[in-house]
Amino acid sequence: MPVEIPKDSWPGSVNTVTLGATGDQGGSRTSTVTIGGEQSLPFMHFENPTPHRPVIAMEVAAARPADWSAVLLEAWGSTLDDPAVWARACEDAGADLIVLQFGLKGSDDGPVSAEFAVEVVKEVMDSTGLPLVVLGPGQAEIDNSILVPIADATKGERIVLGLCEEGNYRTIVAAAMANDHLVLGKTPMDVNLAKQLNILMTDMGLPLDRIVMDPTTGALGYGIEYGYSVMERLRLAALQGDAMTQLPMLVTPGVETWKTKESKVGAGIPDEWGEWAERGVNWETLTAVALIEAGADVVVLRHPQSLVRVRAAIAELTASETA
Amino acid sequence: MAGYTAKFDTVTEAVMVSAGELVVEVADRAGIEIHQPCGGQGRCGRCAVRIESGRVRRRSVLRLSQADLDAGYALACQTVVEGDVSIVVPPPERIQRRLTTDHIAPESVVPEGYDPEKAQTVRRVLLSLSPPSMDDQTDDWGRVAMALRRATGVDRLEASLEQIWHLGGILRSSDWQIAVTFVAGGTEGETARLIRVQPATEAENEPLCGLAIDIGTTTVTIWLVDLTTGRVLHQASEYNQQITRGEDVISRIIYGSKGAGGDDLRALVLETINGLVEAACRRTGIDHRAIAKATIGGNSTMMHLLLGVPPESIRLEPFVTAINNWPLLRAEEVGIAMHADGVVDALPGVASYVGADITAGVLAAGLRSTPDTTLFIDVGTNGEIVLGSSEWLVTCACSAGPAFEGAGILHGMRADKGAIEEVWIDGNTYEPTCRVIGNVPPRGICGSGLISLVAEMFVTGIVDKGGHINLTLETPRVRRSVKGAEYVVAWADEAETDQDIVITRVDIDNLLRAKAAIYAGFNVLADVVSVGLESVQKVLIGGSFGKYINVEKAVGIGLLPDLPWERFDYLGNTSVRGAYLALLDREARAEIARIAASMIYIELSADNTFYEAFTSAMFLPHTDLSRFPSVAAAMTNEG
Repeated sequence: MPVEIPKDSWPGSVNTVTLGATGDQGGSRTSTVTIGGEQSLPFMHFENPTPHRPVIAMEVAAARPADWSAVLLEAWGSTLDDPAVWARACEDAGADLIVLQFGLKGSDDGPVSAEFAVEVVKEVMDSTGLPLVVLGPGQAEIDNSILVPIADATKGERIVLGLCEEGNYRTIVAAAMANDHLVLGKTPMDVNLAKQLNILMTDMGLPLDRIVMDPTTGALGYGIEYGYSVMERLRLAALQGDAMTQLPMLVTPGVETWKTKESKVGAGIPDEWGEWAERGVNWETLTAVALIEAGADVVVLRHPQSLVRVRAAIAELTASETA
Repeated sequence: MAGYTAKFDTVTEAVMVSAGELVVEVADRAGIEIHQPCGGQGRCGRCAVRIESGRVRRRSVLRLSQADLDAGYALACQTVVEGDVSIVVPPPERIQRRLTTDHIAPESVVPEGYDPEKAQTVRRVLLSLSPPSMDDQTDDWGRVAMALRRATGVDRLEASLEQIWHLGGILRSSDWQIAVTFVAGGTEGETARLIRVQPATEAENEPLCGLAIDIGTTTVTIWLVDLTTGRVLHQASEYNQQITRGEDVISRIIYGSKGAGGDDLRALVLETINGLVEAACRRTGIDHRAIAKATIGGNSTMMHLLLGVPPESIRLEPFVTAINNWPLLRAEEVGIAMHADGVVDALPGVASYVGADITAGVLAAGLRSTPDTTLFIDVGTNGEIVLGSSEWLVTCACSAGPAFEGAGILHGMRADKGAIEEVWIDGNTYEPTCRVIGNVPPRGICGSGLISLVAEMFVTGIVDKGGHINLTLETPRVRRSVKGAEYVVAWADEAETDQDIVITRVDIDNLLRAKAAIYAGFNVLADVVSVGLESVQKVLIGGSFGKYINVEKAVGIGLLPDLPWERFDYLGNTSVRGAYLALLDREARAEIARIAASMIYIELSADNTFYEAFTSAMFLPHTDLSRFPSVAAAMTNEG
């Protein structure tokens, strides 16, 4: 007797968003990345094909990171000293896009400045043809002071600017609207808060297809189920037709994983935990794959080996569609 | 090109009108300034004039009732002159009249047909005793008891020892002409308790009084009542002095459970009550010993703290009170400044978080006397919500915080003289116009003023849906201070306090949390019993945030459900009103006991549905705008 698989049909779908712009499109990227468009829950390809595979972004710090795990420092070596070289290395390793993360420090350990920020963005864009996500250090006034000049200096590149948060979104959204960029909104693990920020940003006139959302996630063992559940509920609401949840999701397993003890610490831990570097990469890979299964459209990673493994996992998840 | 003439009642010369002109424009040329607080957008309704004769076209009548229209009223900023007209401009105080969307709390009214003989448990009778003699050696006590029995049918009499100490002296000094105040259930042959014996001449000039008291977490209210006529002689409110020991019931319970904390809280609330009683006595010239009875409403925690009963179990699973149905208490042991032998009737509660304030409120709101599905919301520090009809009642409680009572707000205050109670903001200049209680320079903002202010800030774009103040607007009234973003409602030179009266981002957050808790509460309650909010026939609002509530603005910020305005009624402080009814009438008191016994309590903390509904409501007016079609429509028009 043949088994009939029940199929859901959904009234809504996720917005399709294109990151980056090539020369023809008013930018300078050699490739663009298109995400979103899902009409079903993740990888339910018997209902609908996955329109755009989840993509992998690699995180590049604008100034050499002071608090990264020794495992990451060893993996990247001296490339960490120059964001342009680092970004190039990410592209060579197979990344789909670059997340350029600014901290509070600029050149020579001084405070981050608009001049420094614009300079770094330009250098990175010269060294890689990948689309960019540019994030400020997360303090409203500093974020605004560097993101506005960056937006002005890169008009038309369709960079994703962030973070837009509930208390600080106006300036960044205005800069994105004026210069044909996109924005990343981040809310603390709650469906309603995610919707509210999206409403506020679109109320300013920014079209929904220029917003990507980060619903906030935790690493494996550090609240991943809570983040997973919020992502799942956002996606269910999107498929049910709630426009303010129909945004592609970007999540940061790299940031989350590499601050856990299991990944960050190598000394004074039980032998059964196994080899440190292997453990850290496993942790990042497992976190990322779980979030992809929850519906992530972009995962931001840190370790080059994780990039390879997550890439393989995505290929397997979509294998039956391409076969 | 049409040319008409317009004649205004206050100006002798008629003025010429050209086609399409608005009444305000014509009035301006006639030298009459018509104040337009909302900037001529037809939102505030304050520019109403009366068209005595002639043809006009009213572009918007949103703010006028049918009665207003029948009387010829029109909004000067929205009305086009289309013929020769004669117009009456009401004097400014008439323009202050309330609008269709304003719901004012009713004044206290003595219940119809109030008969103390039948309804009252505390009575005072004049007795003329025959003095003892060698022929009649009945003891003093027996003589009083016998006379009282003859006059009232009271069979047995009890008294405190102190009463008996003074009895003989009073009988003799009054020449055996006395007034006896006593409390009795009222049925033939039952036991009465003596409250007071006094010379008849003294009683003649002194009304027999009672107190209706509402002990709120934030505000304490008392009504001093003449028990013979039923009239309210004085009403007064004050912040509960316990506020300094914590803003909500939970922090009070925690404080009260440590060391002498319980004694401290008891002393503070008694100080508050007695301060109000003493002030009421001074104002009315009444001796506090004339107060023979007090009936008290209040949430379960407040009742426990006043009566010195440890409240810990209210806070801890499985959340039970020490007592819901209190016995009748003696005033001296409670500590209220009234006659020591007076009686204190603490009204019954239902559960830890649904107390006597709500059972009294349900009585005052008349929920059990209507077959229609009715929603009753008591907006206080604890928002209590009751849904039901004469057939059934369900209830829940949620913590809203003290914002609606003006506490926890930088320039918040009680709804008292000097409080800004309504605000209109001009959408072009962002300049506010305020109505202040008592028509004096403002001192602060009360609960209704806050609702009004935030609603106006929202429709004029000063705040966004998240409640963030837009600092990019070109007005000195929005600014950044050390406390964050703020909007100046009144400049220092307009204010009584000589400092700018502002609303801050933090204040707005507090108000958002408060309104979200209430909205989430009645949504979850309605869901639990599968009643759609749209099927609610009547929404009754109780609370002490002001003398009135503008329903349109309360809907505008998402505090109340988006239902037709006529379905709402504002009842003011329903807890004290219910206590007043129970103070007067034994039947009303029995009804409160029946209400307490019949309400079904829904625990909101049982799962996360309340939290979900709460975060969803933490937005202006709500994350799901489809729940507020009238607000959505207004926003489209404004945009």
